[in-house]
Formats: sequence, C-alpha cells, structure tokens
Amino acid sequence: MIQTGLVQNAHDDLVTDASYDFYGLRLATCGLDQRIKIWGLDESTGTWNVEDDWKAHDAPISKLSWAHPEFGSILASSSFDRTVKIWEQTSGGEGDSLSPHSHSLNGTGPGGDLDRGKGRDKWVERAVLVDSKGTVRMLEFSPRAFGLKVASISSDNHLRIYECLEQPTLTSWVLTEEVDILTLPYSSTPSSNSHSHTVAIATPTQTHSTLDRDGPGAASASLVAHALQQSQAQAQGSGGTVGRPGMGNREADGGWCLSWCKERYWGEVLAVGCGVSGVIKIIQTSPSRRPVTLLTLDPSPTLPTFSGSGDASGPTADSDIPTPFAITCVSWAPSCGRSYHLIATGGRDGRVRIWKIKPEEIPDGEGDSEEREREGWTGVVVADFDEHKSAVGRVEWNITGTILSSAGNDGRVRLWKATAGSVWRPAGHLSVEQAEEHERADVDMEENQAAD
Amino acid sequence: MSEERNYVHLVPPLFEQGSLPDFVQSGRSVGASLSPLDNAIGVFVGPSEKTMLAPTQRRAQEGRMYFASMHKPPTLERRLFITDTSVIFAAFQNLVTNSKARGPEVLRSDDGMRMMGKLANDYVNFCKECWVHASTTTTHLPPQHYNTLYTSFSLFTTLYLPPNPALLDLPVSDDLLEWLNIHFIEPSTEEGDALVMNEKCWEAEGFWDYLLRTTLRHLTKATTFFLNLLSTSHPSPHLRSLSSTLIPLLASHPRLGEFGSEREFVVASKRWKSSVKGVRIELDLVPEDERGGEEGEGEWWTNLSDLVGILEGREEVVLRVVGELGGDWREGVGVWGWVDGRVRRGDLPDILPPILNALPPDPTSVEEMLHLSLFKGDTLEALKWAEKLDPWLAAHLGDCLQALELIGEGDGEEPSARDHYIISYAHYLHSDPALWRLTVDYMCACGDVGKGMGDEVLKRVPLRLRGSSASKQTPLGKGKEREGEGESIKRGEVAGVLKEINQTCWEYGREEVRRMVCRIAAQEFTQEKEYGLAVSYCTSAEDWEGLGRVVDKVLEEYVQRGPAIFTRLVASVAPSLQQLRVQPSAYGPYIHRLMFAVRYAEFHQRLGNQDWQEAALDLIGMFCDDVVPKSWWAVLLGDAVDLLGYQKAMLFSTSGVCVLLQKVEEIQVRTEQGSGDDYLTVLARVTKCGGIKEALHRLKRVRLALARYFARCTVIDVGGKEGGFRGVKG
Repeated sequence: MIQTGLVQNAHDDLVTDASYDFYGLRLATCGLDQRIKIWGLDESTGTWNVEDDWKAHDAPISKLSWAHPEFGSILASSSFDRTVKIWEQTSGGEGDSLSPHSHSLNGTGPGGDLDRGKGRDKWVERAVLVDSKGTVRMLEFSPRAFGLKVASISSDNHLRIYECLEQPTLTSWVLTEEVDILTLPYSSTPSSNSHSHTVAIATPTQTHSTLDRDGPGAASASLVAHALQQSQAQAQGSGGTVGRPGMGNREADGGWCLSWCKERYWGEVLAVGCGVSGVIKIIQTSPSRRPVTLLTLDPSPTLPTFSGSGDASGPTADSDIPTPFAITCVSWAPSCGRSYHLIATGGRDGRVRIWKIKPEEIPDGEGDSEEREREGWTGVVVADFDEHKSAVGRVEWNITGTILSSAGNDGRVRLWKATAGSVWRPAGHLSVEQAEEHERADVDMEENQAAD
Repeated sequence: MSEERNYVHLVPPLFEQGSLPDFVQSGRSVGASLSPLDNAIGVFVGPSEKTMLAPTQRRAQEGRMYFASMHKPPTLERRLFITDTSVIFAAFQNLVTNSKARGPEVLRSDDGMRMMGKLANDYVNFCKECWVHASTTTTHLPPQHYNTLYTSFSLFTTLYLPPNPALLDLPVSDDLLEWLNIHFIEPSTEEGDALVMNEKCWEAEGFWDYLLRTTLRHLTKATTFFLNLLSTSHPSPHLRSLSSTLIPLLASHPRLGEFGSEREFVVASKRWKSSVKGVRIELDLVPEDERGGEEGEGEWWTNLSDLVGILEGREEVVLRVVGELGGDWREGVGVWGWVDGRVRRGDLPDILPPILNALPPDPTSVEEMLHLSLFKGDTLEALKWAEKLDPWLAAHLGDCLQALELIGEGDGEEPSARDHYIISYAHYLHSDPALWRLTVDYMCACGDVGKGMGDEVLKRVPLRLRGSSASKQTPLGKGKEREGEGESIKRGEVAGVLKEINQTCWEYGREEVRRMVCRIAAQEFTQEKEYGLAVSYCTSAEDWEGLGRVVDKVLEEYVQRGPAIFTRLVASVAPSLQQLRVQPSAYGPYIHRLMFAVRYAEFHQRLGNQDWQEAALDLIGMFCDDVVPKSWWAVLLGDAVDLLGYQKAMLFSTSGVCVLLQKVEEIQVRTEQGSGDDYLTVLARVTKCGGIKEALHRLKRVRLALARYFARCTVIDVGGKEGGFRGVKG
C-alpha cells in the first residue's frame, strides 16, 4: 500500500464526509464548516483540484450522495440543520432561470466564492427538503432502476424517501415514504399489512419538535441543546420503545444509518439502523403498501438472527437485555450476481460485522412451497472483527463488493477481503499514527497542495 | 506483489507513535472512501461523533485529506507483460470453452492436454523473456521477481502440465533434474574454468565440491573431464585407477529416455548398480594409509567415497552432500533420481519427509513455500503462496489447475478458487484505470458473478465525451488523441472509449451495461446541448423516456433562448427522426414530441426565410396532424398572429382558420374549467408576460387577429373556398 497524495486544509474545519462520483474522477467533500467542495482529479498528475466550493447548510453537513449519472450531475447533502438539499451542476448559466430554488442561502451559494471563468458548470441548489424533525444523519440515492429517489434517516428515527417527479428541473420532490423505523412491523405475510399506502405519506405523528426550523440560526445555535431537546422529545413521543434504562443523550449515543440494496430484483429494499437499538432492519418499500421489515440483523449473542418470520415485538422491546451498542454505519454491497447479499455494519462497540443475507426463496409451486415460504429472508454474521477497539464510524464497500473498508476512532482505516475459501480476513490498514523511526524514510508521495 | 506492504502510515501523521489516547481525546476520527476509478482510498480527518454534535473550536489546519493506493500501478514494462500474457489467457479460455462444448472428456484427452501444455509453456516463456529482459537492460522490472515467476511456473508445468502429456505417467526424476539444472545453475561455468587453469586442480579449493555437484547434477561431461585429469595426472595410483574405472561407468549411466520401455530401463539400472558395487569394493581395498592427505594428493578418498555413494544411490550420502554443498531441499528433490529413479509425480509427497528432515525449508520464503506446496500436490495452498508472490501467478496457475480438475469448481454460491484468484488479479489490474479492458476480460472469465463485477467496472469507464476538457487533464500526446476522439464522437461516429465499451459489451453480451452507458452519454450530450447526438444515443439505448427528456430540453431551448437558436439546435436532431420512424420498438408520445420539435423548427426556419405561405401551411399541418402538445397550442397560436395579419396575401384557408379558432376556444374553455396550467404555462414563459391570467389575456390578440382575418375574407371575398390561397396584389 502506498500513499499517493495529500490535500492540506481541504476544509476550514474537520471533514465530515467524502464521496467519489460514479467514475471516481470527482470527489465531493463536506465539513463542519458547512461547506461542500467538489474536487476534480487531474489524471496526469494524480492531484485533486478544487472545482467548486460553497456554503451549503446552516449546520455541519453529515453526508453527501451522488445520483446516478444518467440523471445528470446531481448531489444531495444532509445536515444537522435538519434539511436535505439537492444540488445540480448546470452548464453555462442556464441554472438560475430554471429553478425557483436556484438562489443561495445567505448569499454565498455555489460559485459565490470562486471565479471559475467561462461561467460553465455551476452548482445550483434545486430543492430543500425540510420534513425531518431531527438532524439528518445519512442519505443515499437509490439504485438507478428505481428512478431518481433519495432516502434519508434522521435522529427522529424516521426514514424518508423522496422521489423527483420532474427530472429535468429537479425542483419537485415528493415524500413517498415516511416511516418510523422503531415501530415498523415485520412481514412474513404481506397481506396482513392492511394499512393503506397513504399512511406512509401522511403527516408523521411525532410532532414534538420544539425548535424553530425556519430561523436560519436556530439549528446551528446549539447542537447540544438541540440534541438534548430532541432526546426528550423522542422519549415522550415514542413511549416505551426508546425509553431504555441507563440511556443518556440519544443524539450522542445513537447511530443513524441506511444503505440501499443495489439489486433491483427484490424491489426497493434498504438496510436501516437507528437510535441505540443496535440492530439493522432490512426494510422493503413498495408503492402499493406500507413498508415492512423483512429481517432484523441483531448481533447480540442472545438473539443471534432475527428472521422475518419471528415475533413482531422484536428485540428492542426487551428491557432485560443490556443496552446494545448503537450501529453507526451500514453498507450494502453491490451484489454482482451473487445468490446472496453482503451487508457490513460498524458500531460503537468497535466491531465491524459482515452479514450474509439470503433473500426469501420463491416457491416453485412444488409440494413443500409452504415450508419454504416460511423461511423468509435470513441472515448470518460471516465476519466479526474487533480490531478497531474503538467506535467504528464508517464502513464502505468497493464497487464489486469484494473489499470492505472501515474507519474508526483509532485513527485507522482497515481493509477486509475474503480469502479463496470465502473467509473474511484483514487485508491491510492505513494509519494516521506516526510510523516507527525506521519506516519513515521510505515514504513515496508528493504533496498535493490544495488549489486554494 | 510480494514486496508491497499491506499497511501505510500516512504523512504528515496526526499523532505520535503510541499516543492514541491523546488522539481519541482530541475528538477527531478518520473516514475513508474507495474510489470507483481504481480502488484508491481517500482518507479524511473528521470529527468524532461527540465533536460532530458540539463542535467547539474551528480546526482549520486539520481538515485534511490523504490519498492512498492498494497497489503500485504497473510500470510500462510490467504492463507489457500483463498485456502479452493476457493473450495466452484468452487463448486458454477459448480452448477450455470449446473443448467443454465438445464433451466433458475432450479437455483431458491427449490432444487437449497437449494444447494446454503448449499454452502453459507460453506462460513460462513469457516469464523467462521478461526475466532476461529485466536482467540485461535497465528497467523498472525486478529481475529476481520474474526469475521466481519463471521458476515457479516452470515447476508447475513440469509437475502438472508437461508439453508431452505422456510424460505424466512416467518417472519424474529426469524432468525434475532438468528443472533444477535450468533454474538453479550449479556449479557455475566460472568455477569449472578456474579449476581448469590450475595444473593440479585437485589441490584447488572447491575441486571436490565441483566434482560432487557435477555428479549429482548429471553433468557427465564436466565430471568425466576432471576424472580424466585425475586418471592421468594424480599422484595416487589408486585414484588414477578408480578414476579410469569411473569414467566409462558414468558415461554408461542408464537414463530413462534412452530406453524403449521402463522395464528395460530397470534391468539396465540394476546391472549398472552392480558395476558401481565393484568400484566400492575397489575403493574399500585402498589401504588406510594411502587414502590421501599426503603432500600433493588432497583429501581424495572420502570425497571419492561420497561420489561413489551418490552413484550407489545412498539416500543419506546424497542428502548430506547436497547440504554440505549449500543446496536446499529443492536440490534434494531434484537429484532424488540417484536414490530412486522410478519416482512418479504422485509419489512426490511421500519422498519429501526425509528430504525436508535433512534439508529444512525456509518458512519465510514465499517462493520455497509455493514450490513445496506444488511438490506436495497441495494446490490450494500453492495458490495462496502464489498470490503472495504475485496476483498474476495465482490467477494463471489457478486457471490451469481448474482446467486440470486439480481444484474444485466452487459450490455455486461461493466463487471457486480459480475465480477468486482471477478476480483478485483483476482487482490488481483495476489499480490502473487504463487497463480496464483487461480488468473486464479477466472478470468476465469468472462466470456470472465475475461478469457482474465486470459490469460494475465497465459502466464506470470514463467516457471522456468532452474532448476539450479531457485534453486539459492529460499529458500532451494523450490529450490530443482524446480531443480527436471527442471531436469524432461529436461528428456522430462511435469512437474512442465509447466504441471500445460498446465492443466489450457486445463481446460479453452485456446489453444492459451498453444501454446504461448510452443513456449516460445521452445525458452528457444533452448537457452539452448536442441534442442530435443525445437523441441518437437514447435511440441506441431504446430509452424512450430519456428521449422525451431530451425533447423537453430542446423545447426548453425555445422558451429560454428563442426561435433562432432553437432552429439551429433542432437541425441536428432531424436526421434521427427519420431513423426512429423505421424503428419498430420506438413508440408513443416521445416520438410525437420529437416530431413536433422538428416540425416546429422547420416552421421557424420558413418564417426566418420569409416563406410565409409554407409557414402557414406548416402551422395548420401541425395542428391537423395532432403533433402539437397541448401545452404548446397557445404558443403556436401566438405565432399565427403575424401570419394572419400578413397584408400581402391571405395565407390561410377557411378550414385552417377554423382549426385555429377551435384551438383558441378549447384553451378558453379549459382554462375556465381550471386547467389553464396545462395550456398556458409555456406561453406565459415564452412571452415572459407573467402568469396564466396574462397569457390568457394575450390569447385575445389571436382572437382579434382571427376576427380581422375573417373580416378581410368577407370584404375582399377571398379565402372563403376550401383550400383556396389566393394572393392579393398590393
């Protein structure tokens, strides 16, 4: 492994997310400085240069996600200011006239800080999605097959899926799903879910947000105060499901994460984790019925795997079990034609786990079909690593689902690969710790100074 | 490759060695993302969750990003090696596929084995060439590495896939000795030359070592040359006599290859061994005090005894001598023919224990461990070591091993060992984005899962449609080439990367990917306002919705930038419409909308040319053919105002004017019913007159123009007859 580059002062504060575009030729980053930067790779030198830089939110930005390039050059950002924003790169000044949202917050919108000449390729704000009652912690565009959709998860424990109905303008986004993850029912028999689809898009029942969302300074004023208020609101609002003994600050202890299933065959399926539940739910959404949980991935030793056909109350209702460690990140591997799925999770317990998920077998009409149908989706842990020894903040697969990266508070990024016998093993690491004396000499890299 | 470490300490570091607690305390953490381009790793310094929730101070100096790569991308020479051997790999895949199609046993037939052996030998030769090249010229290639590849692949072919499949059933000792003599050359020619220079060579240091080694290695010429010297010049009469006995004996040592059958060989070997016994007796008869050590004689007796011991095939002597000469266990295996000339390939694991006991292998040497696994027949273990040496080796060995059915085919759920190592090699190739074709080739050789992975790589190959911007980012030569590509793509040719992707998709039947790539290209062309190309790529992808979006975008150009630019842009779209009309799968509203755009542009073209009559005909034609979307009715009616008011001629027939009137009426009614948005939004935007209300008001101008036209018809009595267009002079 070799270091190939360095960008000092990429942001004016710590960086909260970095996301490569579809081709890996551009990199979007965001930070505590509330700004988004777009970097372009100079392939001849391997260096990254700033192409765009703008203030995007009124609080730290938590996540960025690129839409599939078939839809254009589109980026979504989620923030602690409780909004999700959609950005589009437009060519030559067409942007401003297209969209009612093309104005910029505080007058420092995209392009405001940089003179890029020519006036081409400006980033324009297309939509602000303000439904969340909590800080938005994670978002991801859906696989292309499902259209232009973006899913977000907030500290109000709600998964929200928005769909863009007018693709050329990107201004009209409809909230197609809004689900409280903690109270979501299991499904072994879809027909039992008699709630109509309208429930999902109706106004959420949780209305305890006490903050003034519209005030630009409100969210950024004090995130701690916000977090505390939020946690109280949650405790009142959701009743026993979240009221765990010994639970402190929910914002600080919890984890909110999601990842789409990249395979279209099963319809729209996501892995979602929220709060301090310590589990990941595999959720299926469909236009014709309420979203349902297909499977719960619970790593606690007493409840090894919670199959979809199990008890609807689930493990979260059992208060005798010690509070589990929150899952902070989840990543669904591209399936690439495998007969199973791989889902990686990282948690506050410092563990990186890989789950092997097998979808429900479709009965072929033979005699034992009922037997099979009952099996539903199943999942087993195929790897459980504790090398980080401290909270894991991020897991991510490569494009073929063969290399997993995980990053933790130990200052290390670790890579994991399967051996020929499909046993997952450490495959190296990158550390920001100083090397031992004798290793320092052979450093082979050039510093890539930030363009600004 | 083996010299690469699997960790890196990023610089500048964030904390000193051993002070992790301080780092944790500082509220920082790291995050990483994997690049789709080349699996590079982008690492950023971020906040821990606590800091994220309550950032206390700004840390301007710390918002840092590091970039790292799992592999060093291959050098130019290495790339040549990779490319050249990929041709053999492709030939091997063809062979396996074609043979399997002809029946399960075809590949393992003599012919099949011979062909596989030939291809495997090609791999060996390429490794050799690369090694020779690396050792004779100044290159970036490490010669030792390629020598190891050469040695290892050659051992594999010797043991498992010899060029002549008949050899597989015969004793292996001669083949092993040959392998040893080729790859571990001992003693060197220089040593021999140095001894020859010496008049009393037997007194020279290393003389007996040399003679013992040439004996062990069956280098009979060298052995007999020096025995000859001893037989004529050595002071000891015993040694002179023994040497002259040994010379014909060595020359007549039976070798398997010289016999028609193994039986004859065995008989001859037995007879020969008994002659060696005679030498031993003669040797033992030499009186103790005449066994060397005298001035000018050297320690000849013990050394000659070892030499005879080798000829006798004494295991302990052979192994001891190898050890004393500094040889390793592989030399022990290579010269095992002295001990047992009939060892077969399958017996190798059984002969290893005594050899390894006497000559223990070095567990830290990847090469030795790989060779040991190959000798043991532990093929999976061998692949593991091979991968540590070079992913190239594991991939190609694994491919051959599976064809030989020496490793399993996988259980359907998990990839086979072969697929695993080939995919792993493909990942290595992926570290150089320029090698995407090979990455995809190798992945696509690994069943459906491999093809699925190939898809992911293929669809992410940068299209570089923007010729000019790409050229900015590449070195001079390449940039120009790419600019050329961009230009020819813009001329409507499928060129450059796009062409190659198309071809690869076609080769491997990846239609879904091809369509996706076309859709992305269409999107990019739309962005670049190359609408003609966008339409043809949508058509190629059979993406009718996308086509609709392109047409919307084209129409939007009219709204935004007016008729002149619109007409110019549509000119590039028009040819595609012709093609689309003959395409049976093209259907529905999108084609209609495209047709409208083209005809509307034609209409404006005529207006521009002051061809009023034709323009008026077009206008009515569009309405009559029902190609005008409702949202555009009002815009076209607006266009009619000037034509209606044209003084030099009556441009419309009565029925045409009636059509216009009908449309005005319909808009009016619908708007009253609350559907104004559907009919008037576009007009409102085109005229920038405000909202629906204003647009409706504007429509009154059309009504007025129509009324006047009718009035003119009545007054001058023209246009009243069906189809009549009579010009009115002056």
